[in-house]
Amino acid sequence: MNLSVTKLAALNVRKDLRLEWRSRDVLNSMLFFALLVVVIFSFAFAPTREESRRLSGGLIWTAFLFSTTMALNQSWARELRNGVLDAYRVAPAPAESLFLGKCLGNFLLVLILECLMAPLFVLFYNLTAVGAYWQLIVICLLGTWALVVNGTFFAAMSIRTRNRELMLPLLLLPVSIPAVTAMVTATSNVFTGDSSALVQIKFLAVFCVVYTTISVLLFDTVLNAE
Amino acid sequence: MKSPFFYLLLVVNVVLLGWGTYQALVVAPPEITMGDAQRIFYYHVPAATAASILFGINFLASVWYLVSRNAVADALAVACAEVGVVFFGVVLVSGPIWARYAWGTFWVWDARLTTSLILWLLYVSYLVLRNSSESGSTSVLAASLAVFAAMDMPIVYMANRWFPTQHPQPMIGTPNLDHNMQTVLLWNMAAFCMFGVMISWFRYGIERTKQKIDQLHIQKATAGSPAMALPALLLFQMDDKLLREKAVQHQYMVIGYVAVWTIYIGYLLFLLVKLQKMKREAASLGLKEN
Amino acid sequence: MNLDLQPGRFYVLRGENGAGKSTLLRMIAGLSAPTSGSILIFGRKTREARDRMGYMAHVPLLYDELSGMENLRFFASLYGIESDAPLAEAMRRVGLDPELTRRIGQYSQGMRQRLSLARAIFHKPQLLLLDEPFSNVDPDSAAQIAGLLGEMRTAGNTILLVTHQLGLLAKMADEFLYLSAGAMIERSLTPQVTA
Repeated sequence: MNLSVTKLAALNVRKDLRLEWRSRDVLNSMLFFALLVVVIFSFAFAPTREESRRLSGGLIWTAFLFSTTMALNQSWARELRNGVLDAYRVAPAPAESLFLGKCLGNFLLVLILECLMAPLFVLFYNLTAVGAYWQLIVICLLGTWALVVNGTFFAAMSIRTRNRELMLPLLLLPVSIPAVTAMVTATSNVFTGDSSALVQIKFLAVFCVVYTTISVLLFDTVLNAE
Repeated sequence: MKSPFFYLLLVVNVVLLGWGTYQALVVAPPEITMGDAQRIFYYHVPAATAASILFGINFLASVWYLVSRNAVADALAVACAEVGVVFFGVVLVSGPIWARYAWGTFWVWDARLTTSLILWLLYVSYLVLRNSSESGSTSVLAASLAVFAAMDMPIVYMANRWFPTQHPQPMIGTPNLDHNMQTVLLWNMAAFCMFGVMISWFRYGIERTKQKIDQLHIQKATAGSPAMALPALLLFQMDDKLLREKAVQHQYMVIGYVAVWTIYIGYLLFLLVKLQKMKREAASLGLKEN
Repeated sequence: MNLDLQPGRFYVLRGENGAGKSTLLRMIAGLSAPTSGSILIFGRKTREARDRMGYMAHVPLLYDELSGMENLRFFASLYGIESDAPLAEAMRRVGLDPELTRRIGQYSQGMRQRLSLARAIFHKPQLLLLDEPFSNVDPDSAAQIAGLLGEMRTAGNTILLVTHQLGLLAKMADEFLYLSAGAMIERSLTPQVTA
């Protein structure tokens, strides 16, 4: 029997992407929501160019945080709709492969969202980065992974709670705040060019490693908590 | 839980708390710039220490539960988390009261305070998860969350050392802290840590009884946490010009003290009410008193 | 309860609503944990015996947006099965066309349940667990499923089935287990309850 975790995770990702492509509900709602947030913020704040640079981190990551939460809720909702989780748990495949597959799938979806939204942000807020561009990409990748890995884990946890859609942000936000603070500071630093974002990038890297490890180790326990 | 040992320790604890309070309010020398308002230090810091110890025990108990699925571990975990949240709540209430005096504002979003708030929120979300998850999966899910929350604790402590913050730097054991003050602080540390342990013990006993009742297949509605109201109106009317007056310093000390003990006593009353309800329920089920 | 089941026999679990039949089945499948005691399957713990079990519930446990074969291919990968041959065979045994590319969301309930059964058997399990497999299923599909179960029993597999509708199974089953309020009150070789 060939049950390698990476292979199964890849199959999971393929299945999730195929499901998403056929229904497109996650991507559509995420996109629409992020767009709404951008527009509302630009009405609410109407920042000057200088202010935009300082606020940029907070604006961008708030929009992405909300969209990510929606995506995470939706992706598990699909699994629950037909009770497919029982079928997973009965199969001999290790639960970690489901988890990593879900994380990667969500990661890709949120990245797609970010690629689509980034030009809009630059447009609406007249943003040009004064600092190093490559740092933005690293911050984006690490930050998104930090949100997605914790979010996928807590979304799985909140399946067994009464207010599923409320529990996810309730659990996710406190744990993510250190990472979000780092992301926001780092992004603003790159846009204003005030200081290097390297400290925050290192912090994000450590955060990702630590929380990915814990999530993978505990996922089986959480999935089978009955 | 009703063993004579418990009552003996309770008496020792009350004496210790009384002694610590006397030391803090009367014996300890007044601080040069802040006068009496500084005395909040003597119950703010011990509450923080006690809360950290309790959160640490919660982490160990949660890991123990994940490994062994032992009901005792689960009861210990929830008891320590709940009491820890109360004690940390005291920290988050007494701190801003002092801060209003010392800095002119209740709150600043610096590293130390923000990370402390996050830590408190983490454990509050732990308690919310316990209350809203399906029975049967509660203990496992909560224990997993506790592992996540515990990872945040080192960050909270390091924040005070890595990032610039307005919060006073750690002073225990350094020449920055007057020797007499340090003695008073250590007495209060001992008193409040013991207080924390005693309340947790009591809460643990309640949880074990609850587990036994649950096993008799009874649904229980658990009471929510009490809402604490501060005499905030008084504080908001303070004029900046008066802030350095001794009387005002004294007032802050008293308010802080009253607020803190209201929280502790309120929580104890809440636990007693819970216990009474459970005793009645247990009696109706014929459960033997332990 | 203390329960010993022999391999190669067809057991039917019966009892009133809330007796705990589904719960027992879920515990054997490894989906629920007992509050005390242990369950051994072929001498191993449930988590280690998953590759020898097939589970089917009263809901299909499949993705509506995928076709029959796509569903089976995905779940087969969880069992380490890489080729399509056993999947096509399983589909034919339950009376479904492997070439069908329609999304199963457009199947009838009977077809979906048959596909669910295909998913439960494609890895040739020795123990088959079925929780109300006939609920909301048309008589033709029900007959097909029952026929297949009969074949599997003759082939030496162990079957444990929870149902309210005895119908065709009355003659096929070897033993009937009656549950009430979480305890087993009777084991008999006939469908009638004497307790």
